[in-house]
Amino acid sequence: MPFLRSVTNTTRVAIPASALPDFSALSPSPNPKPQKLSFLYPSTSLLSSSASGLVKNLTQPPSALNMETPTSNHRPISQDNVTLPEIVTEFMVDMKCEGCVNSVKNKLQSVNGVKNVEVDLANQVVRILGSSPVKTMNEALELTGRNARLIGQGIPEDFLVSAAVAEFKGPDIFGVVRFAQVNMDLARIEANFTGFSPGIHGWSINEFGDLTEGAASTGKVFNPTNLGTEIEPLGDLGTLNVDEKGDAFFSGTIQKLRVADLIGRALVVYETEDKSDKGLTAAVIARSAGVGENYKKICTCDGTTIWESSNNDFVAGKL
Amino acid sequence: MQAAAIAAMAAHAILAANPPILHLPLSPLPLNHSSFHGISLSLPRQSFSLSLAAKKEPPLFVVAAATKKAVAVLKGTSNVEGVVTLTQEADGPTTVNARITGLTPGPHGFHLHQYGDTTNGCMSTGAHFNPNNLKHGAPEDEIRHAGDLGNIVANAEGVAEAIIVDSQIPLSGPNAVIGRALVVHELEDDLGKGGHELSSTTGNAGGRLACGVVGLTPV
Repeated sequence: MPFLRSVTNTTRVAIPASALPDFSALSPSPNPKPQKLSFLYPSTSLLSSSASGLVKNLTQPPSALNMETPTSNHRPISQDNVTLPEIVTEFMVDMKCEGCVNSVKNKLQSVNGVKNVEVDLANQVVRILGSSPVKTMNEALELTGRNARLIGQGIPEDFLVSAAVAEFKGPDIFGVVRFAQVNMDLARIEANFTGFSPGIHGWSINEFGDLTEGAASTGKVFNPTNLGTEIEPLGDLGTLNVDEKGDAFFSGTIQKLRVADLIGRALVVYETEDKSDKGLTAAVIARSAGVGENYKKICTCDGTTIWESSNNDFVAGKL
Repeated sequence: MQAAAIAAMAAHAILAANPPILHLPLSPLPLNHSSFHGISLSLPRQSFSLSLAAKKEPPLFVVAAATKKAVAVLKGTSNVEGVVTLTQEADGPTTVNARITGLTPGPHGFHLHQYGDTTNGCMSTGAHFNPNNLKHGAPEDEIRHAGDLGNIVANAEGVAEAIIVDSQIPLSGPNAVIGRALVVHELEDDLGKGGHELSSTTGNAGGRLACGVVGLTPV
């Protein structure tokens, strides 16, 4: 399985299973486990369930190893400067036949950075391993003319919290920022924004996801005591470049960032580079589904299907 | 009118869910991080069946700060909005203080969903937060989702104020509710007892009016 090796470029260490904690009780999934896709769920001894807790510390995609980044620099590194580490991104795509499967597969395999594509037609799920940003994969899926929705991201069965998202819901600034854990010391970040004034805006992860007073109540830039320095806190994401249309796109990696530590904090964007002002807009960093965790296709509360759904499908109040 | 009667008694619904189970931590164990971080990636050396064993043994995660607080600002596309604060003392039950405005008078289902991701509406929030994989129920039921917080009741002005005390929605540890979504629904949650096809999963509470992600807030 050459592909498997690329997912888990793993140093094998022989440790008796009995010496490892039992992680099987960790992920009670309310959803029935979907059909397992072979490349992501190797049943070989390499990633046997009892050893996965150890293996994940050593799992590192090859591209991450190539990065010549001093670990003292916590600023995110833009994809312009480095190849993004590979992760799995899972989409639900409206496919009904083998023909559709092939067209979706072919399209995605032509995308730069996509390493492998697996399709589970019964569940209408497409899993993509690669370094491509979500935005690029979304655009490719759009070109197939089919409905597609991102439903999970991360390294399968690897972390308790592998993915997080912060969503900016306007009224002026809209955006989505996604985090995905690549390994214990590295996370990927991807941001898409519209509605800013053109130019340079500072952005950061702040310590509190408290939006009662908007960005003003999110506290200071997140800086866990054991990481970073006073000058450059871990949560300082540097600056975003907003183009003349008011759009900003960023995709890159952050060293030492653990997605689980960000849950419930805030993502804040500032008017200028200065992060000492109160911030222009903020969103809470929320838990998001990892790979294979959320195959919800219909909202049982009101019957909305995944193809009809959007971030705005609230029913209107009738007062 | 029934609605009027419900509205009249609305404003302060106090729902005491499961009786509080107080754990007495033996000693304040050192934490791997300061404050609380939702689920930590640094796994403790011992077994992880902690949520199941928690009733008998002192918890493995002992949070140094005695009080934990969280807040969610709920918004929708209509004029329904509100603020919900959550407070937990040590390992005691969590007290939820909700104030939602812009509702139609009467009861509205109030749930916590597994994910706080609303990028794809109701789909990306997943199901009701249900770590024990049980059926939908009332907050006081044994068989319930941890995220089943019952109904909040809006008065004639469309304002619902509720204080809910619940032991299944901690603010730290593996089942922490930080980063998940609180949702207010259009209709009454039948608490699993409506006999409807959807009673055992969602309480047949209709569409979403507003939602918000539970975020950390200073104590």
